[in-house]
Amino acid sequence: MGRASAPYLLILPSILFAFWIIGYPIYDMANMSVHAVNRFGKTAAFNDFANYQRLFSHQLFIGCLIRTLVWTVFVVGGTVLLSVPIALILNEKFFGRTLARIIIMLPWAVSLTMTGIVWRWSLNGQFGMVNATLSNFGLQDTPVEWLATSTTAFPILIAIGILVSIPFTVTVILGGLSSLQADVFEAAKIDGATAWQRFRYLTLPLIRPFLNIVLVLNFIYVFNSFPLIWVMTQGDPANSTDILVTWLYKLAFRYGELGIASALSIVMFAILLALTMVYAALAMRNERSTA
Amino acid sequence: MENPVRKSLLMWLFLSPLVVVILFPFAVMVSTAVKPRVEVLMYPPSWFPSEIRLQNFIDMWQATRLGPAVMNSLLVSIAATVLCLLVAIPAAYAAARMEFTGRKLFRQFLLVTQMLSPIVLVLGIFRLMAKMGFVDQLPALVLAYVAFNLAFSVWMLQAYFQTIPKELEEAATLDGASTLQRMRLIFLPLAAPAIGITAVFIFIYCWNEFVLAMTLLRSPEKSTLTLQTFSLVGGRYQVEWDHVMAATLVASVPVAAIFALLQRSLVSGLTVGAVK
Repeated sequence: MGRASAPYLLILPSILFAFWIIGYPIYDMANMSVHAVNRFGKTAAFNDFANYQRLFSHQLFIGCLIRTLVWTVFVVGGTVLLSVPIALILNEKFFGRTLARIIIMLPWAVSLTMTGIVWRWSLNGQFGMVNATLSNFGLQDTPVEWLATSTTAFPILIAIGILVSIPFTVTVILGGLSSLQADVFEAAKIDGATAWQRFRYLTLPLIRPFLNIVLVLNFIYVFNSFPLIWVMTQGDPANSTDILVTWLYKLAFRYGELGIASALSIVMFAILLALTMVYAALAMRNERSTA
Repeated sequence: MENPVRKSLLMWLFLSPLVVVILFPFAVMVSTAVKPRVEVLMYPPSWFPSEIRLQNFIDMWQATRLGPAVMNSLLVSIAATVLCLLVAIPAAYAAARMEFTGRKLFRQFLLVTQMLSPIVLVLGIFRLMAKMGFVDQLPALVLAYVAFNLAFSVWMLQAYFQTIPKELEEAATLDGASTLQRMRLIFLPLAAPAIGITAVFIFIYCWNEFVLAMTLLRSPEKSTLTLQTFSLVGGRYQVEWDHVMAATLVASVPVAAIFALLQRSLVSGLTVGAVK
């Protein structure tokens, strides 16, 4: 008896914790999302999915959804495209490699809130160092209000989103690169394969499992990314940088639209769950192929 | 063979644009934090102040009430890290070492909770904490941080635990060691580095967390460091940027230093956890 129940006793606290702090809120929001809710969170009768209808027909919904997709695709795509060459460089032996690795990993340690605050000040139209530096190098005539202009604010946020996602991505790809066997590459070199051919036909397929994991994990992180945008623009100017998570926060805690907010939470939860299935499938396949 | 000096220069040349962009905000922090206030709002701005005013840090520390915020952040982060490890270590041990029905299900369950970010659940968590009378209480943050770090911690730890040879414990059993002795004398010492690395990751997460702190805390004296620093720029007409940059510097440098010192082991640890 004691033997058989031991593993369950060991995992029980973690399961209880997760059901309590994560499971119950999901249940509560699912419940709210199909009932009429007042702004103090009192639920009334079942309302035939009216919250979902109001969400989908809300004037800001489509815009936020499209921006979330643009944000996620550009940040994740840019991150992975930049991280592969960076990881290849950091995998080489050269003077100061440890220092280079430390510098590249640095944005990871600093909180997104602090990063957002510092960039917001750096991008200040009048007193920010970005404008000052650009005009010192003669790259710009008149100062730009980067975050207050709707055409520049979102691209700037995407660039900073990429910057802060690079460290984790490089780390995982480096892990993949360091697991490669040197003799395969030697053999290919002797057989006359060019550097590009070795990359295209050996490195890339061999680190594919790592790339897959990095793509899915980054997709999930970036899709949920809140502090950078909240700290730098709060979705402004005129909602032009609002993505679903920042809009969700405003709906719930600023406008008191608890019904729509919980419907949106559930929609996002469903999207994340679907992505998790993809990740699980990839991780399992990876586990089998390395076993 | 290639000339190593030329190769190194070339590598640094390739990396230089990124290195500049990464170091840029740190330079801005330092430059603004030591400027006299009149020069912070001077046009055009300059990198180099006329004098280096370290007094700014002392003024900032008093004016922004950063001390209590650092204390709150330390308290919450340490409590959450310890509690999370207490819950995660047994679970990871079971997942790594024991055969039981539902083990695969447990691992999948971990995966799902790992994907959830606080922002998607923040409304539900706020309501839960309100129901328990925990709003504006630091323990509310501790509980939430533990829940959101459990999956990651169990996952990392079990990946490590699997690399510790089972035979060592089996040999100890044959020598007549009790379960507790085996744990204390053999397993935990071998697992200590892994537990340490996991602890660092949990601690940094808690130290840097923003959304839950902003939602669950109300009174300024309960603020954590990220929240307190944000409140210096959020919704104000007059932002005292010299103080704000001094505060971000104080908040960022210790964590960045820990990270730089432990870089190698953190990175290899994460690779084991992420891919195993």
